[in-house]
Amino acid sequence: MDQAEKKRYEERYQAEKQRGEKFFPDIIYKDLVVSFALFLVLILLATFVGVSSEPPADPSDTSYIPRPEWYFLFLFELLKYFPGQLEWVGTTVVPVIAILALLLLPFYDRGPLRHWRKRPIAISVMSLAVAGIVALTIMASITTPPQEEFSVVASVTDEIVIGQDLYGLHCVECHGSEGEGGEIVSVEGLEGVVVDPLNAPDFMYTRTDDTIFNVIDYGQQDLGMQPFGKAYGGELQRSDIGAIVTFMRYTWDDRVEIPQEAAAAGAVPTLGPDDIPSYSLHVEPIIRRTCVSCHRPNRENNEYLMQTYDEVMNSGINAPNVIPGDLNSNVIRMILREEIEAGGPMPPTRALKAEWVEIWIRWVEGGAPEFPLESTDTPEPTPAP
Amino acid sequence: MPEIEHGGGISRRSFVTGVVAFLGSVIASVIGIPAIGYLIAPGLKKHTSDEWVPIGKLEDIPMDIPILSTFTRTSQIGWERSATSFGVYVVRKSADEFDVFSNICTHLSCRVSWKDDQEAFVCPCHNGIFGKDGSIISGPQPRPLDRFEYKVEDGTLLVHLVEG
Amino acid sequence: MAAKWISWLDERLGLTTIYRTILDRKVPKVNWFFTLGSATLFLGVLQGLTGIFLTVYYVPHPEQAYDSINYIMTEVSFGWLIRGIHHWGASLLVITVFLHMLRTFFYGAYKYPREITWVTGVFLLLLTLGMGFTGYLLPWNQRAFWATTVATSITETVPFIGPFINTALRGGTELSTLTLVRFFSAHIWILPALVVAIVGIHLYLVVRIGISHVPAKDE
Repeated sequence: MDQAEKKRYEERYQAEKQRGEKFFPDIIYKDLVVSFALFLVLILLATFVGVSSEPPADPSDTSYIPRPEWYFLFLFELLKYFPGQLEWVGTTVVPVIAILALLLLPFYDRGPLRHWRKRPIAISVMSLAVAGIVALTIMASITTPPQEEFSVVASVTDEIVIGQDLYGLHCVECHGSEGEGGEIVSVEGLEGVVVDPLNAPDFMYTRTDDTIFNVIDYGQQDLGMQPFGKAYGGELQRSDIGAIVTFMRYTWDDRVEIPQEAAAAGAVPTLGPDDIPSYSLHVEPIIRRTCVSCHRPNRENNEYLMQTYDEVMNSGINAPNVIPGDLNSNVIRMILREEIEAGGPMPPTRALKAEWVEIWIRWVEGGAPEFPLESTDTPEPTPAP
Repeated sequence: MPEIEHGGGISRRSFVTGVVAFLGSVIASVIGIPAIGYLIAPGLKKHTSDEWVPIGKLEDIPMDIPILSTFTRTSQIGWERSATSFGVYVVRKSADEFDVFSNICTHLSCRVSWKDDQEAFVCPCHNGIFGKDGSIISGPQPRPLDRFEYKVEDGTLLVHLVEG
Repeated sequence: MAAKWISWLDERLGLTTIYRTILDRKVPKVNWFFTLGSATLFLGVLQGLTGIFLTVYYVPHPEQAYDSINYIMTEVSFGWLIRGIHHWGASLLVITVFLHMLRTFFYGAYKYPREITWVTGVFLLLLTLGMGFTGYLLPWNQRAFWATTVATSITETVPFIGPFINTALRGGTELSTLTLVRFFSAHIWILPALVVAIVGIHLYLVVRIGISHVPAKDE
């Protein structure tokens, strides 16, 4: 741009200004409308979409598929096209050129023309770049595989409940459903080993959460305890282990008070004198805490699985183990600690609590329903006239 | 540029001023009011506890000599489980009569301690001095030392810890 | 009475001058695309406010970062709102900054006499991306951890100084407490300070030179 062109621009701009409007109120008004609309969008996004929860960082979990924030996806995708030896072109040369091109734009594009029709080269280069960025972003979001579903624990209560289930699944075989320990009966290779109780101050007072976490994570090989953490070949995520530790701490450490709703959520509901227990309300929580540890796939259990109502009713070599209305059902006899053809007393280490045995008996007696009956309330007595 | 008159006779300028003020206050209150709740939230949370804490066997508690007993309670504060320490002075007045004082000075919450040579509880911060019965001897404190309820069960002294 | 107060303040603060130079100035008649700049400014201020609120609870430590954010989201009144606005605001901000740049480009507004305004704008675009990059790690969740691991590894491929950039960014060879703290520092102090300074220059130039006009076909 030479002096004449600069002068022409200034004159033109002054003319536009004269024909123009006031910053306040005219421009401010438009600005405000747009900003307010964006504000509404933000509030709606924050309220109805929210921020998706993610599990905590776990440097040992190499199965996680990394993905950057969406506005970096195009850069991420770009790297796919610079294999091996040429990677530095994609990571260094291209971005540096792009940034310099943008930064120095007004110094090499010095022509006086401003309308887009008069600047075909500049407009097409920029349009191509934008199209490229959009295309790369779309391609990246299509080709990135979806992340595995996970559960994120929101509150202490949820964590305790999840921890209780995980404990029931992974720990009960050796440590007992109440953390009472004792002699291991049914775990291959560990028969006869006596396990110290976890539910005692001796254990809970002398170990911090971190210690317990690490024991579950690495196991204690010298004592026969296998590692449970994913990083060491086990099945548990770090968040799972954390939930088990929280469950243990709140349940067995008498210095820590369990939140009431957690105690309620984890408890097996008590029965009224005439209620018929149901699978979903009463029996399933008992099974989850005392049976599934062995009665799940890949355990020695005569193929009797107990993870769903169907399995409880129909699976196993000796099926059916539960016959509605029949107190001679295998399950009942074994819970009552009889030695029968189908097997020995269950659970092998220790009898169930009396009130849980009662729930089992009344459930089978009452026809082993899956869900509670519509109304178990006794009808209101009609008031005397 | 001439002022554009709206139907009602309000100038464009004051119309826009009104809209700016209105939308501005909507944004300010949608952010501002939740922000107040956000900032003071932990202050409004009450963690309550109500329990009997064992202090010691009766036979270990000497007659007429204040002894300090401390215990720790953990609770979830924020996202961390934190330990809070409590200290109580137990003064045995007879076989089954006790004074159980909090060791927190009633002035500004410094910790008092029993001085044998002065026969008094002394607060190091502002020279508050309390007698063996918790009464004020001298100093700026507004009231005698706080007392805990206590009871004796199976030969053990328990004090009633109420918080919140 | 009010008029008296205002004139007293005006005498000392020069409010009329500010009003005349900033608010009551003539500008060319422009279209709605010209609201992108102020929208960016608005979102930026909102990010600053919500960001400051987040630091009331957030702890930049690997053991506590995740839990403290979880606490904000579940226990603190309106914590979900503050974090939600900050989270989504970041994305919207990137969009408005980018569109603002495109508008400037397509109207040729970077040309004389607004070259410096453009250059500061490009720096602000880069700083916005930097804010996004450093902020992404702070929740210390899986997504944050692995995305940052990969992103910092990318710098390793830069010829000659790559490994140096990588360890300098991470504060070591691996992602650690040091990485988290330096990203936090960059996110809440270093980059925002630069942003505020450059936005100051940018706005000064916008007021001084005036906003550009929509070019006609013969320009």
